Amino acid sequence: MADLEIRDLHVRTEDREILRGVDLDVSRGELHALMGPNGSGKSTLANTLLGHPAYEITAGTITFKGEDITESEPHERAKAGLFLAFQYPVSIPGVSVANFLRMAINAKREQPIGVKEFGGQLERAVQLLDVDRAFTSRHLNDGFSGGEKKRAEILQMAMLAPDIAILDETDSGLDIDALRTVAEGVRKLYEEQGLGALIITHYQRILHYIEPQFVHVMMDGRIVLEGGVELVERLEREGYDQIRQEVGAGA
Amino acid sequence: MPDTVAPKPGRHREASLYHALHGAGAGLAGREGLSPEAIREAARLVFEASELPVWRRSGFWTTSLQELDLDDLEARAHAPGALPESVRAGLPERGGPGAGLAGRIVQVDGSVVHVELDPRLAERGVVLSSLEDALRDDERAREHFSKRLTYDRHKLEAANAAFWTGGAYLYVPPGVAVAEPFEIVYAIEGAGVAQYGRSLVVGDRASDFRVHEHNLAGSFEGQSLHAGAFECYLHEGARCRLAQVQDWSGGEVYDVSTRFVGVGRDAYCHWLPSLLGGRLVRQHLELAVSEPGGDMAFRGLFFSEGEEHLDAFAVDLHETGPSGGDVHWRGAATGASRSSFEGLIQIDPGARQTHTYLQIHTMMLSPKARLDAIPSVLVSADDVSASHGGTVGELDESAIFYMQSRGLDRASAVRLLVEGFFEPVLTELRDEPLEDLVRAKLAAKLAHAREDIEAYATTR
Repeated sequence: MADLEIRDLHVRTEDREILRGVDLDVSRGELHALMGPNGSGKSTLANTLLGHPAYEITAGTITFKGEDITESEPHERAKAGLFLAFQYPVSIPGVSVANFLRMAINAKREQPIGVKEFGGQLERAVQLLDVDRAFTSRHLNDGFSGGEKKRAEILQMAMLAPDIAILDETDSGLDIDALRTVAEGVRKLYEEQGLGALIITHYQRILHYIEPQFVHVMMDGRIVLEGGVELVERLEREGYDQIRQEVGAGA
Repeated sequence: MPDTVAPKPGRHREASLYHALHGAGAGLAGREGLSPEAIREAARLVFEASELPVWRRSGFWTTSLQELDLDDLEARAHAPGALPESVRAGLPERGGPGAGLAGRIVQVDGSVVHVELDPRLAERGVVLSSLEDALRDDERAREHFSKRLTYDRHKLEAANAAFWTGGAYLYVPPGVAVAEPFEIVYAIEGAGVAQYGRSLVVGDRASDFRVHEHNLAGSFEGQSLHAGAFECYLHEGARCRLAQVQDWSGGEVYDVSTRFVGVGRDAYCHWLPSLLGGRLVRQHLELAVSEPGGDMAFRGLFFSEGEEHLDAFAVDLHETGPSGGDVHWRGAATGASRSSFEGLIQIDPGARQTHTYLQIHTMMLSPKARLDAIPSVLVSADDVSASHGGTVGELDESAIFYMQSRGLDRASAVRLLVEGFFEPVLTELRDEPLEDLVRAKLAAKLAHAREDIEAYATTR
């Protein structure tokens, strides 16, 4: 049984149905890539997995570590060990990165984390991800560049040590250096913490720096093709149109 | 002076602002050279001839005191003694005078019950006493008394000027710098009280000090009233940080008060009222730079809940230039409360080279709350800059989801957002015990309003 099991997931917003029966398995220690053209439902899936209120699940289930979380609150899913690295991280003015991390860590603990222990963890995470220490006293995402926001996401991931992380187009809008830092960060967490990751990407750039074992292609709200890393190369060569014709998507 | 600039016909709004600013009648008792005793008499006449006030703004907003039973309220006297425990519990933890506190004066209902002052400061000429005592034999106090306060804008202002008892007087001599704060405390102990508070603070040349005013009440059923008049005059080069934490708690306390702070030549004032509780609170707050080189930072925060009604009118007045000013207020409303903040930058003729900025940011936290944020500018001089902005916002649901996705439950996420919202102003208190007190009050208000805040999410 996989750690994260998505079965026949149907999701709609107020206007229309976006996911039309998604099946997907992700476990710890596995690197998955999810690709697809714009509008295929990738972000919807990412947000639905964490329970975003704008998305309504009309059919199907999400099971995490054996528990049905289809109806769970977002914070319960996070506490259970799911993490979403946002495509557009939100600014929380007036709250420093460090304080926010401490609060998030304490949400999962019986006793609040001690100052020394927290400081130590933060130091290790900062080193691991090669981030500037001063970063942590800035207000979360407030006035951050795109690259800084994504780094902050990965720093949070390192501190919260989730079982499965979903990265929602983490590579969009990043320059090569930022991209490399983010990819390296994910790889290190995968290697050191046994993180399972679902890397959602449109352009596949990040996949040059962190190679997935499993690749899924999404179109029109369904996963239409699955394979290994060779699928990435194929998409780079052919684009999505060829595959769309092959699978008859949109029917 | 503003008197000579008549409101233009047809500009109703300006006219009403001038009216509010300068009183219905002759007023401005200080200029008339009336003695403190004569002011009482003149004010009594106005009191007897007036009705309870109603403030209206452009048909959208009304603050009415019709529910106040003034006849049932009295100024209650108390014997002096130690600091009452109920009052101590509402103040931030500090040491005594000389150890965390420069001095403290406490008025409960109609009487000053407690005064303490660091003896070393007394030796250097600092005066902290009841205003009644000061007006008896302190020439300087008599000179400054009511210099820029009126007694005839409305019935409660007149009541204060006619009937005030106790009061607080603080004088800081030239060149004296005091790091620890002076606390001025007005407490209302029960129902049926009319507390006419009167405070006079004078900072002489190049003095440097802090004043924290605390307004607090126990919980009780029934009405009480605090009609206060506060005036602070800063002489050349003086620097003052003024903070006020007003929390009349969840009872039925009405607070209609006027505050005036005058910043002299090259002087500076940082003023931060926190308006955090009261059945109906109407505050007229005026920070005036009266002489060249004066500078000020006017900050404030407010948070109404339940059925509270808050009406704050804050004026950043520049009478001469060059001068600077910077107004930044933040407020929130939950429950079915209504809060209005009107901030006016007024630059008089002759106040050239004045540079000011006003911003008011508010946050609606429940479907039934009402918030008005109205910045305005009245400029009568050249070579100035006066810009302003106001926002009425709501909780950012995407920010809440973001925090929830990190394991924070909804209530914690909302608390973080609201704390983060107030933080830019709150941190300017620059006094940790006071900041902690205000943060605790904000957290308590959020806890009370939890259901409203949840409900609000589902309706949007």
